[in-house]
Amino acid sequence: MKVIVPVKRVPDTAGDKVIDADTKTMDRDAGETVLCPVNEFAIEEAVKLKEATGAEVTVLLIGPDGAQSTIRKALSYGLDGAIQVTDDAISGSDALGTARVIAAALADVEFDVVIFGNQSTDARTSLVPAAVAELLDLPSLTYARFMEIDGDAITVHREHEEGWDVVESTLPAVVSVVEAINEPRYPNFKGIMAAKSKPLDVKSLADLGVDAAAVGAGDAAATMYAFEPRPPKAAGTIVTDDGSGSAADDLADWMEEQKFI
Amino acid sequence: MTEIQSLTLTEEQQALRDIARTFLADRLGPDVVRELMAGEVGFDPAHWAEVAGMGWQAMVVPEEHGGAGYGWTELAVLFEEAGRAIAPLPLLSTAMGTAVLLSSGTDAQRAEHLPAIAAGERRVAVAVDVPGADAQPAPTLRDGRLDGRVRHVVEGAAADLVVVATPDAAVLVDPAADGVEVTAMEVLDLTRPQAELSFDAVVVDDDAHLAGSPAEVVDRARTVGATLVANEQVGTAAAVHEMAVEYARTRTQFGRAIGSFQAIKHLLADDLVALEAARSVAWHAARALAADDADEIAVATPMAASLCNEVAAKLAADTIQVHGGIGFTWEHDAHLYFKRASSSRLLFGTPKAWRARLADTLGL
Repeated sequence: MKVIVPVKRVPDTAGDKVIDADTKTMDRDAGETVLCPVNEFAIEEAVKLKEATGAEVTVLLIGPDGAQSTIRKALSYGLDGAIQVTDDAISGSDALGTARVIAAALADVEFDVVIFGNQSTDARTSLVPAAVAELLDLPSLTYARFMEIDGDAITVHREHEEGWDVVESTLPAVVSVVEAINEPRYPNFKGIMAAKSKPLDVKSLADLGVDAAAVGAGDAAATMYAFEPRPPKAAGTIVTDDGSGSAADDLADWMEEQKFI
Repeated sequence: MTEIQSLTLTEEQQALRDIARTFLADRLGPDVVRELMAGEVGFDPAHWAEVAGMGWQAMVVPEEHGGAGYGWTELAVLFEEAGRAIAPLPLLSTAMGTAVLLSSGTDAQRAEHLPAIAAGERRVAVAVDVPGADAQPAPTLRDGRLDGRVRHVVEGAAADLVVVATPDAAVLVDPAADGVEVTAMEVLDLTRPQAELSFDAVVVDDDAHLAGSPAEVVDRARTVGATLVANEQVGTAAAVHEMAVEYARTRTQFGRAIGSFQAIKHLLADDLVALEAARSVAWHAARALAADDADEIAVATPMAASLCNEVAAKLAADTIQVHGGIGFTWEHDAHLYFKRASSSRLLFGTPKAWRARLADTLGL
């Protein structure tokens, strides 16, 4: 079985995010970057398939040279190889543009299942997995909180607000997983040491036969016009008890004003 | 002997450090440490299995015995993180035992024990007393019978296999064998238990004899132990220093952060300088060990053992000082670090004894 896990380099989830005022896109060099934490759940599912069936797992990443450390982090879980698509023209792509690039990269390789995280921790659109499935004309099994593969049949439990649906399909298929699906392990030492020696296939848009005009900021269906940092939290009202007894009245007035009473 | 590596971490070592730090923060936070230190053996076998999955015990075990076949520098990186978290895991004893098996075990002993150690299925301790005034005479071996006792065996109660050095031979003993009694000792540092092992006519077969001499075995165990503890102490010192700096930034007195006062500011700056020196010396000792450079080990280990232990103990004490009253409470973690730093400082001899050894080596 061949499994593809698309991964993303994102700003450190715990760190401050900086948006470039000129391009209105994330400044990815402003802080620490990490492998998107949601990808770890997809990787864990892939590693389980590897353990159970000897599946060959390939990581797919779109990003510049600097993102190779993210690829190695993903490979350190014991995965087999990586494809990196890198091209300046991709910069600024929206979800659809990203999906076009991923779909083009996948069109070139053999696979049985693609396992996405359901969303990245930076953009959080959740659009890419379904868009990739649509572009490749493959079954889309998103929001999986459980997945099982038996021969060329796949079953997932698709999570929604009221519970989950049991969705069955045939392979090849595109899956996106939610964090409830498993508890990712930590990479082991051998995996860390082996990551650098795993094959890495670097491709440009031209290699994939993608028209540079169809991706990137210029062609994005979504346009960012303006952004504003979240306003600082306003100070609360302090009612001081000066001993005269008026504090209770002040407090009552304030509560009435706020419609608490 | 190979060339001593540079003093910077490779990308892989950084990845190892980051993952170890994340794991220890996720699984062995202060609450877990407190819970485990109140228990009998001081660690949770589930954690042991999990770190085995990450390859920690296999790190220095050769590939032919199921290990990763890497060096002591990687293990030192791990010990710095374990020290940062004062992790209650019997890593030190197992590393010392592994080192002894590697340097002094017979081929059969290595083949029997190293794969199980690497897989996290066997823990090994080295029964050497803490050097010092109240050190007991070593156990004796006569006619294949082991008698006597060893106190202060680091993580002794957690072990499935014990290396015992007698004046005549160093041997491997199963602590579950007839005549062996393992008693937990009351020690200052609850995060790293010690045990007293007593032996009463314990049968020791010829194939349990290590190939190396008792002196070699004890020296190897202490050298590796002291080097790893030096790296661990750097992590412990870094953790308390960060704790103190954070507190000095947020705690206010007379309307300002206490870190703005010179008595605090200068103390913490000097401590950081000391910490950086300790880290360089500890790394150097680990690299000398990895390079198997006997001349350099003879200098680097005593330097690391003397400096890193003193720095950790001082920074732990300073951290309590910076915290003021709250630093003295049971609820605050500062005392756990203080006890770890103070106790580890003496495990393989006092800093003074290490300096005396260094002076001898250098012919001073």
